[in-house]
Amino acid sequence: MNTHVRLARFLYAIALCATTVLAVPQAQQPLDRTKVPPPGKPPELHVPAWTKAVVHNGATLIVSERHDLPLVSFSITFLGGANQFETAGPRGLAAMTSSMLNEGTTTKTGDQLSDALQSLGTNITANIGGEEGSIGFVSTKSKFDATLAILADMMMNPVFPPDALERLRARTLVMLTQSKDQPNTIGATVFAKVLYGAEHPYGQRATEASVKAITRDDVVALHKAYYQPGRAIITVVGDVNSAAVKGTIERVFAAWPKAGEKPSFNYPKLPERRPTTIYLVDKPKAAQSVFNIGLPGPPRNTPDYFALQVLNHILGGQFQSRLNYNIREVHGYSYGVNSSFAYGRGPGAFRTGGAIMSAKTDAALSEFMKELRGIVRDRPVTDEELQTAKDALIQGLPRSFASVSAIGNAITNLTVQGLPDDYYQGYAKAVSAVTKEDLLRVAKTYIDLDHLAIVIVGDRASIEGPLKATGIAPILILDLEANPVSSSSNPGNKPGN
Amino acid sequence: MATINLSVRRIILPVLVLLLCVSAARPLAGQRRGSSAADAIRIPFETFKLPNGLTAILSTDKSTPTVAVNIWYHVGSKNEIPGRTGFAHLFEHVMFTGSGHVPYGLHDKLTEGVGGSNNGSTTNDRTNYFEMVPANYLESALWLESDRMGFLLDKLDIAKLNAQRDIVKNERRQSIDNQPYGRVSEIFSEAMYPKAHPYSWPVVGYMEDLSAASENDVKDFFRLYYAPNNAVLAIVGDFDPAQAKGWVAKYFGDIPQGKPVQRPAVAPVKLEAEKRLVYEDRVQIPRLYIQWPAVGVKHDDGYALEVLGAILSGPRTARLTKALVYDTQAAANVSARQRSSEDVGEFQITVTPRPGHTLTDLEASVDDILQRFIREGSTAEDVQKATSGAELAFLRGLESNLGKANQLIDGAVFHGDAHYFRTHYQKLLSVTAADVKRVAGAYLTKGRVVLSVVPMGKRDQASKPAESQPVGERRSNVPGGRS
Repeated sequence: MNTHVRLARFLYAIALCATTVLAVPQAQQPLDRTKVPPPGKPPELHVPAWTKAVVHNGATLIVSERHDLPLVSFSITFLGGANQFETAGPRGLAAMTSSMLNEGTTTKTGDQLSDALQSLGTNITANIGGEEGSIGFVSTKSKFDATLAILADMMMNPVFPPDALERLRARTLVMLTQSKDQPNTIGATVFAKVLYGAEHPYGQRATEASVKAITRDDVVALHKAYYQPGRAIITVVGDVNSAAVKGTIERVFAAWPKAGEKPSFNYPKLPERRPTTIYLVDKPKAAQSVFNIGLPGPPRNTPDYFALQVLNHILGGQFQSRLNYNIREVHGYSYGVNSSFAYGRGPGAFRTGGAIMSAKTDAALSEFMKELRGIVRDRPVTDEELQTAKDALIQGLPRSFASVSAIGNAITNLTVQGLPDDYYQGYAKAVSAVTKEDLLRVAKTYIDLDHLAIVIVGDRASIEGPLKATGIAPILILDLEANPVSSSSNPGNKPGN
Repeated sequence: MATINLSVRRIILPVLVLLLCVSAARPLAGQRRGSSAADAIRIPFETFKLPNGLTAILSTDKSTPTVAVNIWYHVGSKNEIPGRTGFAHLFEHVMFTGSGHVPYGLHDKLTEGVGGSNNGSTTNDRTNYFEMVPANYLESALWLESDRMGFLLDKLDIAKLNAQRDIVKNERRQSIDNQPYGRVSEIFSEAMYPKAHPYSWPVVGYMEDLSAASENDVKDFFRLYYAPNNAVLAIVGDFDPAQAKGWVAKYFGDIPQGKPVQRPAVAPVKLEAEKRLVYEDRVQIPRLYIQWPAVGVKHDDGYALEVLGAILSGPRTARLTKALVYDTQAAANVSARQRSSEDVGEFQITVTPRPGHTLTDLEASVDDILQRFIREGSTAEDVQKATSGAELAFLRGLESNLGKANQLIDGAVFHGDAHYFRTHYQKLLSVTAADVKRVAGAYLTKGRVVLSVVPMGKRDQASKPAESQPVGERRSNVPGGRS
C-alpha cells in the first residue's frame, strides 16, 4: 500500500512538474468519518462603513469605500415608484419612461449613447418598479467619471423621440402577448388580481390597452415629476475616495435643481377577505399546474418582521423547509416549492407555491394545506427548527456584503425601507430574540387558513375533478385576466354536474 | 460551459447565483481594451495534486468571511449511452441523498442551515457540486464533499433513485415541457448531430430513459467517473491555505484512485445541406432560430465567433439589432451568439418578429445582412467595442468566490491549466477584424438548421413553410440529424 502510494507520488511528480504533489500524512489510525468536524471560531461580523451627506439639491449621498478591486458601483434610487407616480396615467408608463432614458439626449442620439457606453465597457440600467426606481451602473475605476457623465445626461436631458416610443410600445406589446403563454406569469398576474382587486395598485398590471394609451406627453410629464433629487439616494460603493466623490457628484449634478419630496405611500383599502377558494385558470394540456397560494400580508415596517423571517425560513424559505421537504423530497410532486412574504411599504403578499406535475395537483394541494395547518396549528415549530433558522439567517448576513453592488443595495435599502443606520449591527440580536410563541402568533395572524386564495394554472380537463374531490375549497374558473369564466363556456359545470 | 444546457438540482435562489457565476466565467459578449488591461486579469492561486490523482486549487480572498468549495467531475451527458440519456444529471441528484457517514439532510443543515448554500449542476461535459459557507465551516464542507466521493454507494438504495427520478422528471416538465419554446434546444441537438453522437441528446434526458435507469447503472457510473483522478477541487475565499491543504489530504487522501477514464470520441459535425424544421408549440408569437455547427472551447476560432456574436446583436448599433429592431422594425428582438462546449460548439441566431412580419421575410433579411458581413467584414473599431467590456466582466467575476472557483477549474478541466482564464482573455482581445470576417465566412454557411416555432395549427407561419419538415412532440418523430 505504502509502496503504491509512494510510487504514485513519484510518477505524478514527474508528470506534473508545475504542480506540487501533496504528501498525505501517514495514517496511523484510519480517519473516523462518523464525527462531524466542528465549526471553527465564528468570524466577526464586518458591516461595511459608509458616510452620508446631503448634496446641494437635497439628494442624499451615501459613499462606502472598498478597495480590494478597481470597481465602482453607482446608483441613484428614487423613493416611490409606479404605484405612487402612475396613478393618473396608464399602467406601464413609468417602466416605459425609464426604458426611454437611453433613447437620446439634447446633445446625443441613442446610437451615440450606446456606442459611448460600449466603448467604456459598461452598461447603464434604469427601471421603475412598484415602490422605487433606480438608474445605475458598475464600472471599472478608470471609467467611472466618463460613465457617470453619460448617466447624468440621460437622466437630466432625455428627449424621448416619438419614434422610439412607438418602437418600444410595439416591443412591449409583443412581450405582453408572449407572457400569456407563460404559466408562471399568468399565475403571478391572476394571483395579484385576486388578492388586491382592480382598485389597488398591487393588483394592477400593464395591459395591451394601457400600453397603447401611453402618449409622449405622459412620458415627459412622468419624467419631470419623478426624477427629482428631493427623493433621491445617490449611492457610490467601491474604489473611490469619499471626499473626492462628493466633489464629483456636486459637479456632475450641478444642473439638477432642488425639487421633489419624499412620496407618501397611501394605498386604498384592501378588498373584503373572501373565504378560501380555488381559482383555476385553464392551460390546456399543461404538463404542470402552477400554484400560487396566499393572501395580503404586512408591510416591511411590521414589528413582526423578524418573527416572520424566521417563520418563513422554516416553512418555505430554504431547501430543507417543511414545504419543499414534503412536496419535493418526500413526494416528488415538484422540482421545488417555496414561500415568501413580499413586504414593501404596503400589504405585500404572503405566497407559497411552485410547479406541480399535473397528475398530482390534488395530492399536492392537500400537502400544501397540511403544511400551512401545521405551522399555524397542528405542528408547532421545534427548538431545532428554530435554532437552525436563526443560525442560517444570522450567519448568512455577510453574503449581503460580498460585492460592490450588493453593498450598495444593502445600504440603500435601509433608507428605502425607513430602517435605522445600525440595522445590520442589530440584526443578530433581533433574530435571536424570536421565540416559538412569536412564531405561533405570527403564523396565526398572517396565514389565515379561512381566507386563502389558491390560484392554480393548469390543464382544467384533467385537474378540475380531482381538485373538487379533495373538498378543500370551492372552485371558481378564471380567465387570464382573472375574470370569472361564464358557466356556458364551462364544460366542468354542465347541468347536473 | 454550455450554460443553455445546464440542469441543476434546485430552482430556489442558489440557482440564480450559479447561473450568474457561470456566465461571468465566460468573458460575456466580448469587448476590448488596451494591452495594459491584462495586468488586472489576475487570480492568485496555488494548485497541488494528491497521490490518488485529485487536483486541488486554493485561492484566498479575505474580503468576505465566507468560503466556496467547488468540485468538478469530468463527466456529463455526453458520457451517457442512448437509451440512458439524462443519467449524468439524475446521478447528480442522487449525490444529494446522503452517503456512508452523512445521513440525508445533514448536507443541507451544514450549508444552508449555517447561512450558506449548496447546489450542483450538469452540462454535456462536466458535473459540479459546491458549498458556499461561512469561513468557519470549511472543514465540514470538505468532509461532506469527500464522503460522497468515497462512500456514496454505502447508503444507496433503489428508493432513493426512484425519488430523484420523479423530481428530475418534474425538472424536465418545468424547464422544457411546460415552457413556451422550451423544446428548442433539444430539437437542435437532435437535428444538428447524427444519431448516437454524444451531443445529440438533452442534458436533462428523455422521459422514457429516465424511467429506465437502474440501481446498477448508478453503481457503475459512480465507480467509473466519480474517482479522485477524474475530479478537480477548488477552495476559494477566506481560509488558511496550510490548514486547508491538511484537510484536503485528510478527507480526500484515502479515497482510492479509479481507473483511467475513457473520453468519448466526438466527431466534428458538418452539415452538407440546410435542414428546415417547423415545430408547433403552445405559443402565440412565432420565432425563427438558425443554428450552424461551430467549434468547441479548444478551437481558437471560438474567440472570433464570440466577437462576431457581439458585433451582430446586443447594443442598438450591432448589425442585426440595428437593421431588424431599429431600422425596419420587423423584429421585436434578435440575438446572435456562440456557444462552446468541450468538443463542439454552435452559433445560433434567434429572431422574434413583430406582428405583420413573417419568418420568411425575417430569414431573408438575416441572410442579406450576413452575406454582406461575409463580403465586407467589420472595422477594427467594431471589434474593439465588442470586447471592451471583457475587463469589467472579469473583475466582477472576481467578486464571487464561486465564480473564481469555476474559472480556475474550467481551465484545469478543459485546458489542463488553471491559469487558462488569462490565455482566454488574451486570445479574446487579440481577435482582429480579419479574424471575424474569416470565421463568418467559414462557419455561417449553407449547412445549417433553420427552425420555425409556430403556434399550434399554424405551420403556414413557418419560414418557407413548404420546404420545412414538421417536428413532432415526441423525439421518435424527429426527422433529420439521424443520417
